[in-house]
Amino acid sequence: MANISCTDIVKAYGAHPVIDGLNLEIPDHQFVVFLGPSGCGKSTMLRMIAGLEDVTGGTIEISDEDVTTLPPGERDVAMVFQSYALYPHMSVADNITFGLRRQSVARDEIDRRLNHVAGLLGLEPFLDRKPKNLSGGQQQRVAMARAMIKTPKVFLFDEPLSNLDAKLREKLRTEIRKIHLSLKTTTIFVTHDQLEAMTIADSIVLMQSGRIEQIGTPDEIFERPASRFVADFIGTPAMNFLQAKISVDPEGLLATAGEIALRLSPEMFPSLKDGSDVELGLRPSRMDLCEPDATNALTGHVVLVENMGSEGQIITEMDGQEISFVTKEFRRLQPGQTVHFAIHPEHIHVFDPKTGKSLRSPDETL
Amino acid sequence: MGKLIGHAAMRIIPAVLVVVALGPIFWTVLGAFKELRDIVTPIPKLVFEPTIDNFVTILRNPTIRDGLLNSVVVVSATVLIGALLGIPAAHALARYARRWGDDIQFFVLSLRFMPPVAIAIPFIVIYLDLGIYDTLFGLVLVYLTTSVSTIIWLAVPAFESVPRDIEEAAAMEGCPPWEVFWRFSLPIAAPSLFGALVFTFVLVWNELLLALTLAAQNATLPVVAASITSLGKEVPWGVINAATVLLVLPPLVFIGLLMGLLNSMVRSGPK
Repeated sequence: MANISCTDIVKAYGAHPVIDGLNLEIPDHQFVVFLGPSGCGKSTMLRMIAGLEDVTGGTIEISDEDVTTLPPGERDVAMVFQSYALYPHMSVADNITFGLRRQSVARDEIDRRLNHVAGLLGLEPFLDRKPKNLSGGQQQRVAMARAMIKTPKVFLFDEPLSNLDAKLREKLRTEIRKIHLSLKTTTIFVTHDQLEAMTIADSIVLMQSGRIEQIGTPDEIFERPASRFVADFIGTPAMNFLQAKISVDPEGLLATAGEIALRLSPEMFPSLKDGSDVELGLRPSRMDLCEPDATNALTGHVVLVENMGSEGQIITEMDGQEISFVTKEFRRLQPGQTVHFAIHPEHIHVFDPKTGKSLRSPDETL
Repeated sequence: MGKLIGHAAMRIIPAVLVVVALGPIFWTVLGAFKELRDIVTPIPKLVFEPTIDNFVTILRNPTIRDGLLNSVVVVSATVLIGALLGIPAAHALARYARRWGDDIQFFVLSLRFMPPVAIAIPFIVIYLDLGIYDTLFGLVLVYLTTSVSTIIWLAVPAFESVPRDIEEAAAMEGCPPWEVFWRFSLPIAAPSLFGALVFTFVLVWNELLLALTLAAQNATLPVVAASITSLGKEVPWGVINAATVLLVLPPLVFIGLLMGLLNSMVRSGPK
């Protein structure tokens, strides 16, 4: 069990820094997901914690011990690779027990632990097989068993599910989460899949271009994105963005973009002034059909109805812009129809168009 | 009709090519089992009483026997030492040499650009001075320059095809670099490395020019076989044929092994 702290981490290839002064604290027992688009530095960060990548500057501590220059084998961490990285010339059992055999752990202790992890992951029937005779999901489980049998301080997962089909991915995601609930080992899980991150994480570290954009629980990230980037990256269907101008009237704040006019909550955005340019973020899932005269009602023409099963995404056109929303009542809508839908002022996000930062007051509680 | 001719041609042309290619070899093998009077008849004989006298003669002949032994010693030593030096070097080039890797690899290959004749004569002088002219050691030494470079050149891609993740997973288990090499990279790359060694073996086994210039008493089999052909009118055709068969046999066996290996690799497919 261990906490991890990364202080002023710099990673440069040649003169070009890809990560420049990153700070991160991961408390004991947490399941942390590094999330971001490809090339954001999340895998590099994970590999530096694993010891597979040199750190150009800064320190990494695992349970308050400086491991910055320790070789990977001495950090007491175990990693599951995207490609599983099973040893092709060894049987499944040998793959799983290699690390323990190498440390000359007693044979019966190895057998006991092997039986335990194999049972946990349903690998008993495959122990004598070679990895190439296993399916992708089974190989994935062997890779997890190999990491678990060492009972390390930290588990590192580098996009472990991205080579699996959607159904299996969901199943293994649940399994990984369950295993974490029982073992409580500090875990870092890297993914570019925001849904995977939302479902599995205690805490999400959202990265972009080698920087941390936001750290928070899945709810915080979803409900209170710190920047336009975060808001855009999280949530399906993706958020609608509108350039708007703020005006202050007796009733409070009004954001207008052409024919569209939306009421904002003055408590949430105390910094907004008359005439400020802003970018509004409207989550499709936070909008629904309404009466034409409701608060914040928007009127648009249906362009497309996307059936998602229990609900549908309606893409509408208004004032030259496309805005989508989600409703369960999608089956009675047809392209070309006029629809009215609304968003509650509490669910409108406002961003600074220059910096992309959220203009929501930090004091206000969720 | 045209289709029919096409089909026929598809079968006939390869058949002719095979006959042309295998004809001389077939004739040589036949000749190896013929007595001299069956060979020198004006009308070629296909039916004859086979004999193994030619092989007996060869294996009794001390020059040929020594040549065979020399070849085995020189070639084995060259391939073995070449592998010991070349395979770790290739792994280092494939994994650790970041800045100069390509240059080193090109330099290694460039050792093979020079025609052997160009290095043979300076080598005679150097070897005479060093007192290693006409020694098996001298031959092994000169062959190593080519075998190490061939092995490196062929082994680098073999190691590059070992997934880096596997080496990293091994490092995560606490293996230092030498152990990662010995217990993971080497066994995983082994099939391709075996091909590199076989190729090197064949290359050195067939080498004639350097062996001819750098050794006199301690000649290798190609040199001996070549010298029999220059015996003048009293050519012992049967013996030459038998010597040729003996010379061709080891590379043929190895090539067979190599092909079998390649086929099995293709069949099991990349994983």
